[in-house]
Amino acid sequence: MAVSTIDNKIEKKPIQMKPGLIAWFLLIGLLLLIGLISAFRVFSQGLVLTNMSDTVPWGLWITIDLSSIALGAGAFTLSAIVYLMGLKRFQPIIRLAIYVGFIGYTAALLTLVMDIGRPDRFWHPWVYWNVHSVLWEITWCITIYLTIMIFEVLPVITELKFFDRWPWTRTAAHKLHSIAPLLALLGLLISLLHQSSLGATYGIVKARAIWFKPSMPIMFILSAIAVGPALTMTVAFLSEWITGKRRIPHDILFTIAQYSGFALLVYGYLRFWDTMATTYYGRTPSVMQALSLLRETTPYNFSFWVLEIILGVLVPAILFLMPRFRRRPVLLVIGTGLAVMGIIVNRWNTTVSGLTVPLSYSPGVLYQAPTGSYFPNLTEWGIALGVIGYVLFMLTIGMLFLPLFPKEEKH
Amino acid sequence: MSEKLNGQESPPKKKKTTRVEVDVTRRDVLTLAGIAAGSAVASVALTSGPLSPFAGLQREQLTAGEESAGHGATGKHHWGMVIDLDRCIGCEYCLRACSATNDVATDKPWNIVVPEETSTGVPFYFSRPCMHCQVAPCVEVCPVQATYVREDGVVIMDYDRCIGCRYCEVACPYDARKFNWETNTEHNPYIPTWGIAEIPRRPRGVAEKCTFCVHRIDQGLANGLVPGVNPEATPACVNICPVGARTFGDLKDPNSKVTQMISKNPTIVLREELGTRPSVYYIPPKEGL
Repeated sequence: MAVSTIDNKIEKKPIQMKPGLIAWFLLIGLLLLIGLISAFRVFSQGLVLTNMSDTVPWGLWITIDLSSIALGAGAFTLSAIVYLMGLKRFQPIIRLAIYVGFIGYTAALLTLVMDIGRPDRFWHPWVYWNVHSVLWEITWCITIYLTIMIFEVLPVITELKFFDRWPWTRTAAHKLHSIAPLLALLGLLISLLHQSSLGATYGIVKARAIWFKPSMPIMFILSAIAVGPALTMTVAFLSEWITGKRRIPHDILFTIAQYSGFALLVYGYLRFWDTMATTYYGRTPSVMQALSLLRETTPYNFSFWVLEIILGVLVPAILFLMPRFRRRPVLLVIGTGLAVMGIIVNRWNTTVSGLTVPLSYSPGVLYQAPTGSYFPNLTEWGIALGVIGYVLFMLTIGMLFLPLFPKEEKH
Repeated sequence: MSEKLNGQESPPKKKKTTRVEVDVTRRDVLTLAGIAAGSAVASVALTSGPLSPFAGLQREQLTAGEESAGHGATGKHHWGMVIDLDRCIGCEYCLRACSATNDVATDKPWNIVVPEETSTGVPFYFSRPCMHCQVAPCVEVCPVQATYVREDGVVIMDYDRCIGCRYCEVACPYDARKFNWETNTEHNPYIPTWGIAEIPRRPRGVAEKCTFCVHRIDQGLANGLVPGVNPEATPACVNICPVGARTFGDLKDPNSKVTQMISKNPTIVLREELGTRPSVYYIPPKEGL
């Protein structure tokens, strides 16, 4: 496939700036502007501008990090399917999957740089090692995986007409492409590791009862590999609707939806037992106290049962699997939207709920550390909008300029 | 086989015999044997070898109570504190002296004092510095080793290395860590009444915590003083306490005041079940907790 695209030079007409496209770019520009202003303010005045506090030191930005990395999981899942399991049928979607993953990971890094107190020291984990820290391991894995993804995206970029004047870039890039299976294997290992250890970040914190359980890493990886590919599928459908060209065979997309549906069911099943074991059957006092506090003071119950489980897992699974629904792109896209929402709510619930519950360490019965309360303020939303702007910008220029799709199918 | 099943109308003529073909070559046998041997070696290496994740666990279990390799005070001293909950009168002098000496922001003291109650309703006062855990969760999660347990058991921060991710603050079971959300420019109301600033303020964007006044310990030892005995070498909160509720000293020295108190009194450590092995011991109220 790669070779064929070289041969028939991309005969793309110059992009016409229709009013709709101009408006779209203006919107993206506005989002990016809001993001940049917020980023400038945070860099100059510090994290005091946020609503985070010593009781709830992590908030919206960590939620964005975790979510966008999880949603980028389509890249490694689909790469593994094509290059390791040898299901070449899915080859046409690989480039798109890797590109979407690349956007997800870079979005996470952008937010992360905002979130650390000393952005000027972002390189410290590379130099000063604490091999016992999951966060150190995550930093390294994400660095390595992002490098792998850059290697995987480079061949796509060098196919641009722009690179005609340097033919060697193309030969070099296609040498790189020939080691794609090796990159996929490495990417698979690294991704499994860090997607899980993002969950372990919470699961190993023994100070907080509702976090401290071995299922955390499993839940994170499972939800990521269930929803990541579905997001790639949805991006393919959306680009088809917007450009009016069918570029990835629908049967591939339907199969991906089905796969995601099964994975969501597996995730939902384990989540069910995770909940039952820790609450109904286990009844650890600290966990029960924490959950009843969350029930009383926050919409935790609603967001868990309705948003995370029913709308985020069950409904998408039904839409992806029921014969009546699973071949209707609109419903698949809606299902993906719900599943993505489920992931984001899950990451939010994990982070903020765990921090809302006060620590209890006093030997007496009276004193309790302050109960956390947190809702992001305008500055934090501003950064979030900026990140959304970045994601939309990257998706748009990818669709417009990069050869992400195989040559158009004839219909 | 399937053809026979399909032709069910014809009655079975004779007893069926099932033949199982064993198609195993020498190569298969060798491969399987190799896998089996490899698994055996791997399982032994992973459960008992030096690379095993369980190795440290076993050592720790065997040497419970002592300092195990890689954790805690490995040097000559192990600085610790004993807080007598019966003596404390809740005057907050320790909080003020600490905030002055270490120039801490008033809204996030390193050392807190709160009114408390036993389960039988007897009031008492509870104060909490950093526990200086020997197996410290904050130290284990820090991605850049900006915080660490010193050879003398004190847990301190390297403010020049911290990236401000706040994972330590999230992981600390005792709420003992605070983050510098902004540059601290406020006037410190505790200076000079309760002491003078002995260390510089921490920059914006890093985490900070109680240090057991480590600058005094180091300076004192260099001048031949004994921390816990000579006030110049002892944490500010211990010196200022008007009722002697806090005692400081070397947990490794059998004759130090802290060791004596621990051996003569019932003591507890906070959240012992977490296995963090704090260096701060509490003598509970005599009515019990």
